[in-house]
Amino acid sequence: MADEEKPAELSASGEAKKRRAPKAPELPIVERRNWLIHQHYIRKDYETCKVIIKTQLQETNGMCEYAIYVQALILRLEGRIQESLELLQSCAILNPSSTDNLKQVARSLFLLGKHKAAIEVYHEAARLCDKDWEISHNLGVCFFFIKDFKNAEEHLNTALQINKHDKTFMMLGKVHLVAGETDKAIEVFKRAVEFSPENTDHLSTLGLLYLQLRKYQKAFEHLGNALTFDPNNYKAILAAGSMMQTHGDFDVAMNKYRVAACAVPESPPLWNNIGMCFFGKKKYVAAISCLKRANYLSPFDWKVLYNLGLVHLTMQQYASAFHFLSAAISLNPRMGELYMLLAVALTNLEDVENSTRAYEQAVNLDESNPLVNLNFAIFLYNHGDKTAALDQYQEMQRKVNILQDSSSNLEFDPELMDMAQKLGAALQVGESLQWTKPGKDSKSKPHSATLAKSPSAPLGTNQALGQAMSSAASYNKNIQLPAGVSKSLFAAPDPEAEVGNDPGLPADPPGSPQPAV
Amino acid sequence: MTSVESGGDGGKWLDAHYDPVAGLYTFSSCVDLADLSGDGENRLVVGDLGTGSSGMKLKVYRGTALMSENTLLDLPAGLVAFFMDLHEPRIPTTAVASGPCIYLYKNLRPYFKFTLPSLEVNTLEQDVWQQAREGQIDPLTLKEMLESIRKKADVPLSVRSLRFLSLETDGLDEFVQLHKQQPIRRQTVITCIDTLKKSTADEDGVSCLVVGTESSDVFILDSKAFIILSKMSLPAPPTMMDVTGQFDVEFRITVACRNGNIYILRRESDKPKYCVELPSHPVGLVRVGKNVLVGCTDESLQGFTQKGKKLWKIVLPAPITTMAPMDLPTRGFQGVLVGLANCEVHLYRDKNLLSTIKTPDVVTSICFGRYGREDGTLIMTTKGGGLMVKILKRTVVFDDRDSAPGPPLAQSIRLNVPKKTKLYVDQTLRERESGVAMHRAFQMDLSRVRLAAAKAYVKALESSLTPMSASLSEPLKMNAVVQGLGPSFKLTLHVQNTAACRPVMNLAISFLYDENLYRIRDPYMRIPLLVPGLIYPVGTFVDCTNDKGITDIIKVFVLHEGRSSPLLTAHINMPVSEGLALS
Repeated sequence: MADEEKPAELSASGEAKKRRAPKAPELPIVERRNWLIHQHYIRKDYETCKVIIKTQLQETNGMCEYAIYVQALILRLEGRIQESLELLQSCAILNPSSTDNLKQVARSLFLLGKHKAAIEVYHEAARLCDKDWEISHNLGVCFFFIKDFKNAEEHLNTALQINKHDKTFMMLGKVHLVAGETDKAIEVFKRAVEFSPENTDHLSTLGLLYLQLRKYQKAFEHLGNALTFDPNNYKAILAAGSMMQTHGDFDVAMNKYRVAACAVPESPPLWNNIGMCFFGKKKYVAAISCLKRANYLSPFDWKVLYNLGLVHLTMQQYASAFHFLSAAISLNPRMGELYMLLAVALTNLEDVENSTRAYEQAVNLDESNPLVNLNFAIFLYNHGDKTAALDQYQEMQRKVNILQDSSSNLEFDPELMDMAQKLGAALQVGESLQWTKPGKDSKSKPHSATLAKSPSAPLGTNQALGQAMSSAASYNKNIQLPAGVSKSLFAAPDPEAEVGNDPGLPADPPGSPQPAV
Repeated sequence: MTSVESGGDGGKWLDAHYDPVAGLYTFSSCVDLADLSGDGENRLVVGDLGTGSSGMKLKVYRGTALMSENTLLDLPAGLVAFFMDLHEPRIPTTAVASGPCIYLYKNLRPYFKFTLPSLEVNTLEQDVWQQAREGQIDPLTLKEMLESIRKKADVPLSVRSLRFLSLETDGLDEFVQLHKQQPIRRQTVITCIDTLKKSTADEDGVSCLVVGTESSDVFILDSKAFIILSKMSLPAPPTMMDVTGQFDVEFRITVACRNGNIYILRRESDKPKYCVELPSHPVGLVRVGKNVLVGCTDESLQGFTQKGKKLWKIVLPAPITTMAPMDLPTRGFQGVLVGLANCEVHLYRDKNLLSTIKTPDVVTSICFGRYGREDGTLIMTTKGGGLMVKILKRTVVFDDRDSAPGPPLAQSIRLNVPKKTKLYVDQTLRERESGVAMHRAFQMDLSRVRLAAAKAYVKALESSLTPMSASLSEPLKMNAVVQGLGPSFKLTLHVQNTAACRPVMNLAISFLYDENLYRIRDPYMRIPLLVPGLIYPVGTFVDCTNDKGITDIIKVFVLHEGRSSPLLTAHINMPVSEGLALS
């Protein structure tokens, strides 16, 4: 086929003249600019690309399939999905056997929200070429959007069998999460991390899932890995920071938050956590500033309001604390600790009647936190109702025992234990009821000196209440921590610090895993 | 990603030449460096795409000057300089791939043209045209038959048939007359070209040409006899290639295809041996040592082994425009240059960024190698058509500082914590001192507000003072609009029956107002039957009779005939009259 004439005498221009000599002109090859169109398309030089496509279509009377195909893709990128769909359909007429055309038609349908139509077209494409990762993956995505999770899972798994892609892992994980199968989702993300160990999305999502399941060691490991590969990963920073806060490493956590604050300066959970870091460092004014910013950014987040209430209680601004806590309660009326804090605020505002009601509500709602009962008992004792105080005290003991049975080496906040002992002693002295079985926690501590105060003296001053309250939260955190971690917890300088970030901790997981779902 | 920028490229590269108006429109695949005259001085050979449709040229630069230009007939898809024979002096041949042909230039003169073999032609199509030539069928029948062939045929139609199908009816006959004597041909187009050493790995050994075509094939051509040594097929048209090895021993062709996959071809098989499915289209494909680096449209650079296993992936700050290898054998350095859309060129060794070059424009092609007598020369062309030449300083040492990145810069930026004022602190102190009193005052006021609100609500309900009637038999809604500057105002009342289906009848409107201030044209109006849902405008005129600028409230009552208490009431705050009433 090659023009095998002696080369030397044949210049390129001579060649051209010779070609034009016959009557019929040489028709240009339809595909001659396809490569050029592609080169510009992948370089995202869409303007040039459109010019070339126009010339090409003029030259071939609109018969160049690839030019139309790329034109359609560009239109779709420009958001003109309907026009793009029409062009792709005309491509499918020019070349009915091409799976690429069908796949893109389906993709456009998908983008238009016509998931069922897209599924049909994908099935058609799958008939032309089976074992295509892209088709299976996209089918899975379509089924996910029409909430057919079973089919979605099936197709995504098929896609993974054909070829492993990060996207597919992510999607499959999401399907499991939405279907409420956290265990399966973790398995998927584990495989994903194995497949591409440097993918920060997978690492941070897996870390957050572990965090939700309270497997802190594993969570920290994965979040740390994510931060190694991408020190600016917002999700991982927030989750890892909250864990550091839990351990009292406020300065390290703050360092991490500074990075996140640059990337996402308007994140409510971030400012909440920063606020609680300041709280932990006893910089209360800064803490309030940050929490108020968080509250401004997300006014309906009860956790921020909870923290604001807590900080104001610490600042002895009981009237303000009352407002924040009652706002938090109206947003989340089913949390015992909130009512307890409200009761503490009301006690300090000398509103005994409402305080009692708040405590009663707290005790009704709460199921596992002995601190609620302890605080109530102290309150009742201080107001002279020893019988009721004793009831609450016994209820507290019951909760403590349950907690100790459920996890063996659980440690309680020393303040909580101290206060419980004092109260126990006071009640014992006052009423000669048998106090046969001292709480296990009190055993672990040397018995404090005999109660100095006479039983009639008020046991908990405002301050004592505040501290008891604060230890409430730290206690609450203790039960969340597995044994290995709780050791370092007690190395933390002050228990007040932990108070704050306990609510801070739950604040970010709901904030961050959202993208994953 | 942190410290290198601060040094910039200033310390590493010398600016040798920059011509912003060189008028070059080209890609990395169309740029090469070669000793075209055999005098030991390398020239720069560029296949210029001209305007994209005309003015295509083969340009040769020597030093900073354009040395020669040859007109090209079609768009150059690729250009390589290679040795096609063992003749002395050793002068390389330039091969330009363009359309279905490869044009060979020796000593800067056209030398030989090779055309790729035609593709298989659909036999049915051939038969149909044969019949047309013999006059057995008319053009319309021909068109119908071709149409049906196109719909079901495995082999696509030729250009001629496609063009014929797109013609209007009146041009058909002429077209057939013009073309029917020619044999039908179907040609493909070269999309990429590279070289493969024939039998030795020497620098100046004889090479074969490796050509990728639009028909999804890869051909290996013998450069002496110009015969096809080997043909391999791919699932999609190739866009970029990297070739390594020797044809006679063992070779490996890594091909990026238009379907976004990378295929690896080897000597023994005519089908791809390995396949890499990328998440997005590849823009650049470069081999560094034994690894293949691929730049993708999702702004990432990925490394693969030669078996297609993914090694690493890094994210780049901007979309990639082009990539080229940087090979300095004298110093044992191998890296990859990546042109980015943010006017930077990054130099990577594996995944580590070694150097960043800032350019005045977006770079479209990069070529690194020996130019003139200088080994480390970087040649770049820009989107605006500029030509840039930079020389690597001989003292430069590249070190992998980035392998352990420090903390991100943002970590040292102070947090923007809102400041609190003295007033705030004072208030805090006050709250501490008298929190109880504040709380009680608040509770007291809150109760009062609630009481007042409840009272007002009850009162409104009791006396039908609201502009909404909640009664079950006549659920009505009314609003009033006052138009005009005065002294005459137009008062329009929009009355709506909000019941689901029952009409309301026998209604009337009356007004209560200060007769010293206002005069209403129709102080009593009957309302027609109200069909549910529709809004009925009822209008009248109000004249202000007072010129003191005093305003008052006009009360509007909607009444049911035979009942004394109003169904609903509206209070209209009249605006100030800005004109004087004419008595």
